[in-house]
Amino acid sequence: MPWYDTDSWLTAAFAPHPATMAFTLLLVIALPILLHTFIYRKQTPTSLPGFVLLGPSGAGKTAFVTLAERSAVAQTHTSTSPLAIDAILPDTIVPTSAHYRSPGDPAYERARRLLLQDTPGHGKLRHFAAAQLANPINVRGIIFVVDAAAVADEAGLNEAAEYLHDVLLALQKRYTGAKTSKGPKEIPVLIAANKLDLFTALPPHLVKISLERAISEVRKSKAKGLKDSGVAMGGEDDGLDEEREWLGEGGDGPFEFRQMEEVGTTVTVKGGNVIGGDAADVQSWWEWIAEHL
Amino acid sequence: MLDTFEILTTSGVVLWSRTYVPVGANIINSLIRDVFIEERIIPHSEEAGAKPTYRKEAYTLKWTAAKDLGLIFVAVYQSLVHLTWIDKLLDNVRALFTGLYGEQLKKEHTSVVDCSKFTPYFERQIQELEGTSDSAPSVKLTPPSSSNGESAEESAPALPALQKAQRPLYDTSADSTPVPTPDTSRPNTPGQGQGPTHLLTGKSRPGGGKLSRRDRKKASAVTSAPASSGDEASVKRKAKGSAKKNRIWGEYGAEEEDSSTILDYSQTDIQDGTSQPEALEEIKQETWGRKTGKGQFVLKDLDEEMDQIIAAENAKKESATASGGIVGSSLGALGGLFRNVVGGKTLTKEDLVKPLKGMEEHLLKKNVAQEAVVRLCESVERDLIGLKTGNFTTIESTLRTSMEKALTKILTPTSSLDLLREIQTVNASGRPYVLSIVGVNGVGKSTNLSKIAFFLLQNHHRVLIAAADTFRSGAVEQLGVHVRNLKELSKREGGEVDLFQKGYGKDAANIAQDAVVYASKNDFNVVLIDTAGRRHNDARLMSSLEKFGKLANPDKILMVGEALVGSDSVAQARNFNNSFGPGRGLDGFVISKCDTVGDMVGTLVSMVHATGIPVVFLGVGQHYADLRGLNVGSVCRLLMS
Ligand SMILES: Nc1nc2c(ncn2[C@@H]2O[C@H](COP(=O)(O)OP(=O)(O)OP(=O)(O)O)[C@@H](O)[C@H]2O)c(=O)[nH]1
Ligand SMILES: [Mg+2]
Repeated sequence: MPWYDTDSWLTAAFAPHPATMAFTLLLVIALPILLHTFIYRKQTPTSLPGFVLLGPSGAGKTAFVTLAERSAVAQTHTSTSPLAIDAILPDTIVPTSAHYRSPGDPAYERARRLLLQDTPGHGKLRHFAAAQLANPINVRGIIFVVDAAAVADEAGLNEAAEYLHDVLLALQKRYTGAKTSKGPKEIPVLIAANKLDLFTALPPHLVKISLERAISEVRKSKAKGLKDSGVAMGGEDDGLDEEREWLGEGGDGPFEFRQMEEVGTTVTVKGGNVIGGDAADVQSWWEWIAEHL
Repeated sequence: MLDTFEILTTSGVVLWSRTYVPVGANIINSLIRDVFIEERIIPHSEEAGAKPTYRKEAYTLKWTAAKDLGLIFVAVYQSLVHLTWIDKLLDNVRALFTGLYGEQLKKEHTSVVDCSKFTPYFERQIQELEGTSDSAPSVKLTPPSSSNGESAEESAPALPALQKAQRPLYDTSADSTPVPTPDTSRPNTPGQGQGPTHLLTGKSRPGGGKLSRRDRKKASAVTSAPASSGDEASVKRKAKGSAKKNRIWGEYGAEEEDSSTILDYSQTDIQDGTSQPEALEEIKQETWGRKTGKGQFVLKDLDEEMDQIIAAENAKKESATASGGIVGSSLGALGGLFRNVVGGKTLTKEDLVKPLKGMEEHLLKKNVAQEAVVRLCESVERDLIGLKTGNFTTIESTLRTSMEKALTKILTPTSSLDLLREIQTVNASGRPYVLSIVGVNGVGKSTNLSKIAFFLLQNHHRVLIAAADTFRSGAVEQLGVHVRNLKELSKREGGEVDLFQKGYGKDAANIAQDAVVYASKNDFNVVLIDTAGRRHNDARLMSSLEKFGKLANPDKILMVGEALVGSDSVAQARNFNNSFGPGRGLDGFVISKCDTVGDMVGTLVSMVHATGIPVVFLGVGQHYADLRGLNVGSVCRLLMS
């Protein structure tokens, strides 16, 4: 039917039709609100890009957070609750997203801000970290801090490896369990080998090798270990968890961080020290953060 | 004398600290770990109404918290010293600090609180409290490591005049020659003294503040004198210096700021400042400088202000409790009701009584022992009082989440047990891994031992089962049946299993020892030792466990407990844990028959509560394969359902 016909939609749109009026009214009221929220969101992102700090107790997570916030480290003790702080990249570092902006541009300043989220590392308090991992809104990356001196001995290495294994497994599960075909947004992991100022500390490449080796062991014994009681007692997720989770590639080969790339997680190891030596040296960590901001 | 006072957040950042004698960070860390996180040590207070204490190495720690702001105030002092005023100090400092910085502390996404001006307040508190208490004699008990403060303290009341007369000497010559005055001739430099020094003198004269400033200066002058007495002294001095400056930022940064700030000083201050600018920087700039500039003196103002803040904070607290108590005003009640629904209500003890009662009954129904319930509820209550409920959350749901957290915390082991890896590590050192099982009669020790054996066989270990139950007739045969079955199964699964037995009547400890020797000779890599069941209140049988532990020296001792057992579980766990003599305890629990109790899995909580030892295995059925690790999340869900 042609547009000038009395029944055509165009005619109806200009006629004093109740539906038309209702629609117009709705539009008039809703548009400013939508526009406002849109622009408002755009201008001040309600949530900054976040980086979550994980790692065993005493690794130096809180120390790093305080260093990031002020330019010197505060004294710290074992944390019992999480902490989130606004941090700004140091002046010497330009985030990849702001390469073409000039300093002074407000957008440039904004692109340098981030939220650092510290979590307690004590074995009994990892549920805070687990909650972050289960629902990583706005999380751009995970910084897993390890004490490079503590991983030099067996016990410290195992603790770090077990924790890291669980973290990587959670990320893998999130990736493989995603409903969309595209897969969820990639979450990279930085393994920050801290306390390199101590002479007992392992250099970063050895930290990497030891962790890979220890995770291979953890993975093996986890696979052989007992099933946990969830299924037998809860009854709620019967049959679901029967399949064992296996971190990284199948097969009996050793675990390597490289294998995590397949599930959308690149793992990088970088060394630094928050305290000590001549001064703190966390430049390489900042570079990594800037890269993923 | 006080060694250190720290104000830190629950997230682990030290906001403010005052160090008289440096104390290792591990001391406060272990307070946090043992008392706050693992709750292994239930703090007790020495006198009724006093604050609880915690001892670590040679130190005693007392603390208080401001829950809503997430602050912990900790005082550390030598256990040898008896300080009566610490409780009061903690309370006052808390009131002051929350009063002064409460607003700053509520800011989100930051850990910075600018509390550099807090030092004078703190100093005044110490002076006042020390002045009112008669703790002077006890001071002599302090070992030399902390005696800096005391030496000055002793001299101060005794020789005010002398001190006054000689003050000019300090001003000019403190850097170079120690003058043989009572103060400086002491073995330890008086560098530390400022807190205690003006303690008695400060009040008696109007210009007391000047003295204290001078003392400060004097102290810091000594502090920065060239090192002459070796390493230890220089370390000490460094620590003292940093304490003086009240820097919580560590060692960086502050050194550069001083030269610019001296200028705005009145005459006396310049004098002070030039001789020791660095140490004065904070004080002069912020509070002291400003007030002296106006030509009036400081301490009076400070005192008044301080009293006001403390009074205001106390009044706040009082009004909170009062309004909670008198629900007579209908408007208040209505408002409370409304806020209970909408959220944003500050919880008081009264608010929590009823919901806690409900929670208590709920947990008791889940078969959690009374004692554990009380402790859980108390810890949750401690957690919640003074807290504001979130938006649109009721007290009940706040309580629920808090209880869930408490349960998760109590059940989650500090480090997880990975049996297979431990076996590997121990075998690598060339000896068999020894695991033994204890428990009361009839809880399923042999059955669970067999289940563990089956699990190990599946992983191709060579397992020797030792029958150390030489007491109950039929026990050895029963184990023999299990071993036969396991042998049958292991044909399919791989691995190898055998029984080690010496019949009845022999001493269990010796059998166990022999079994370990036999195992290493015959290339078994795991030894599982079954022991006789015994009532946990049977002193004779329990005492033989100590010898058993010594001779067999197991890598792990697990106790089997029944999920069905009720309130007895606490005593069972405790007695068994204590029966191996000092330095040795249980390493974990196996909870059997979990399949028979449905959601009433409270026994787990009771046993962990009693000992702080984790549950490592759960028996969930009649088959060899029915052994599980603990899933904390699902157990918590069951308990809260
Ligand atoms: N030598 C040295 N010590 C460091 C370094 N970084 C941190 N530390 C120290 O390590 C200790 C622990 O640091 P925290 O930041 O509190 O540890 P955390 O990772 O937050 O630990 P939890 O809160 O228990 O999870 C502190 O005493 C720090 O001073 C470093 O780079 N070098
Ligand atoms: Mg921390």
